[in-house]
Amino acid sequence: MRARAPMLGRFRYGYVAPAALLVAGLLYAPFLWTAYLSLTRYDGLESPAWIGLDNFVKLFDDAALLTSTRNTLIWVVGTMVLPVGLGLLVAVLSYDIKGGAWFRVPFMLPYALSGAGLAMVWSPILSHDGVANRLLGVDTAFLQDSPYNTLAMLLVWTWQQLGVNTLLFVVGLQSIPKEPIEAARLDGASGWRLFRHVIWPLMRPLTAVVVGLALVAGLKTFDIVWVLTQGGPGRNSETLAVTMYKETFVSSDYGYGSAVAVMLTVVTGLASYLYLRRQVTAT
Amino acid sequence: MFRSRVATLGAAALVLTACGGGGGEAPQKKTELSLYNDKGAWTKYFDEMGAVSKQSIGLSIKPTGYTDSAQYQAFIKASFRTNVKPDLFTWQTGGMLAEIVKQKQVADTSAVWQEAIKAGDLSQDLMPYYTVDGKQYCVPMNVAYWGMFYNKKVFDQYGLKPPQTWDDLVKVADTLKQNNVKAFYHTSVLFSFVWFEQLLAGTDPDLYDRLSTGQAKYTDPGVVQVMERWKQLIDAGYFINPGDKTDPADVLKNGKAAMVSFGSWFNTSMASRSMKAGTDYDFFVIPNVNPALPKTSMIFESGPLCSLTKAADPDASMRYLKWWTTAEAQEKWSTSRGDVSANPKVAIDDKALGAVTKDAGSGEYRLVNRYFEATPPPILTAALDGFSKFVTEPATYMEVLQTIQQAADEYWSTHQ
Repeated sequence: MRARAPMLGRFRYGYVAPAALLVAGLLYAPFLWTAYLSLTRYDGLESPAWIGLDNFVKLFDDAALLTSTRNTLIWVVGTMVLPVGLGLLVAVLSYDIKGGAWFRVPFMLPYALSGAGLAMVWSPILSHDGVANRLLGVDTAFLQDSPYNTLAMLLVWTWQQLGVNTLLFVVGLQSIPKEPIEAARLDGASGWRLFRHVIWPLMRPLTAVVVGLALVAGLKTFDIVWVLTQGGPGRNSETLAVTMYKETFVSSDYGYGSAVAVMLTVVTGLASYLYLRRQVTAT
Repeated sequence: MFRSRVATLGAAALVLTACGGGGGEAPQKKTELSLYNDKGAWTKYFDEMGAVSKQSIGLSIKPTGYTDSAQYQAFIKASFRTNVKPDLFTWQTGGMLAEIVKQKQVADTSAVWQEAIKAGDLSQDLMPYYTVDGKQYCVPMNVAYWGMFYNKKVFDQYGLKPPQTWDDLVKVADTLKQNNVKAFYHTSVLFSFVWFEQLLAGTDPDLYDRLSTGQAKYTDPGVVQVMERWKQLIDAGYFINPGDKTDPADVLKNGKAAMVSFGSWFNTSMASRSMKAGTDYDFFVIPNVNPALPKTSMIFESGPLCSLTKAADPDASMRYLKWWTTAEAQEKWSTSRGDVSANPKVAIDDKALGAVTKDAGSGEYRLVNRYFEATPPPILTAALDGFSKFVTEPATYMEVLQTIQQAADEYWSTHQ
């Protein structure tokens, strides 16, 4: 054993090098390149031309970006409230009952759908002459009028994501120690009071992770919007991630698209940091 | 220790070199050419062409079809800087072609054009669409005339005939409306520009051309009036919902809308749904809004098939482009898709489209370059978003025009 240690030491950089090169090549280098492009005018063909902070100044003067930011905020709040809240509700209602797993199966199935599959299922439901309008007896353009189209897509997202959040909460509920719950029950706690004062605080570390993931998912919402509305009509259902994609690849304004990407990265990083720091301090 | 680090770095360098591929390779002799395109639904037809070309000139093609044009364009632009280069690729005429020609990426096809015109395989009229700074680039992959496809059974049911004037067209739409049938298809996705270009070209084609070259503004009274007319048609209830995701070919087949305005390539979509031209559906030229115009304005488009200056086997790519223009190739390409051909020698089975092609060739129409190609890309992006907003909220037309003009001002300030 002692004879092997120097060998390991001698080659330690060699062992680490492939992984380090992969991370540097696939994560850090593109990020640095994007950060550089955000300071240039670049159409994907000519060489990038340095323009300093012009793209970032333009961010504050762009009406479409204002709409994207508003929609992204709706997504952030929505993903933290609906899929997480309802996931918790389904988990709490089903984890301790006989046949609870079967109760959860229908909520899990949509998670297996791809973004394209999601669009196939929901487009005919939400279209103008679709099932939703007929069932509700209304005449609403669910995927057209802003911000209702964002809310409609949020419901679709909830339908898909609820199952996985339920699963995480069930795992959390099953892993919390039984003793404090038994003790609380002996003291006469039950129902809402038992949940609010005993179970909920015990689940806090898991909730922090689930809400943290939802926060990031909300900030980077792209695929569901792209497949259902492509950010339209006009640009009224765009999120920041969709704006980033459209500016870069549809408008070929790689510089401005990169500026949106940098802004989104900073906001996501900052929000995650502040949220997680608060949670860690609280626990 | 130092030696082991050097050895490690050396190994890593070798791995990277192996991954990077070689630069400055000698030109290959290819027998199969990659053909990248943004027409994913046409793979079958490209495959059929590959079988014919293999027999004829010993070159087959391997099509890779994209369905998302933004992704496709990003890939082609990226290929200019990498070793993954298509042997052949489809593109767009107008500003998009000029953009990549400026980068010296596209192979000059002037010799192919001269020879094809001499042999009668290409018409001189098409040349300007493929000319940048006096030289030709690419060859026509397809040409298309735009007009109105209509569901014959619906027209027959209500005793309607293809209209000869704009007023006739509005009367047809009225009759359909009285019978609870939506007259026209329109959409908020991608093809949101169709009715704008049709109404503007049919009202004032000179203004259309001036708008394309930055000599007129989107806020000019003529353009505003076109938007107001478009709004009137929407308000009258002639159109289906613009957010309807049903494929337009199914819209026409199922009679959800009685008429769909598209290019002659729409025949391919109808054929793939077993719809017969002349029996199930037919085509008419859309009359001018302004009856005083000397010629009927007809929207025209042509999509190029190109090769790169740095293609793996430039000779093979050029040989293929040359073959593509011949009557043998175009006969197959046109017949399989039921569309018109860029080669004047090729006749098509569809009577209505055949007549349109013949009339267009004899100067009967004023051909107007499709908005998609005629408009510089940054203005086009703003316009597509703008028209998408307008069709769902027609009252916003002035706001939409101002937004497009803002993009136009920005573009023309550096591109006059």
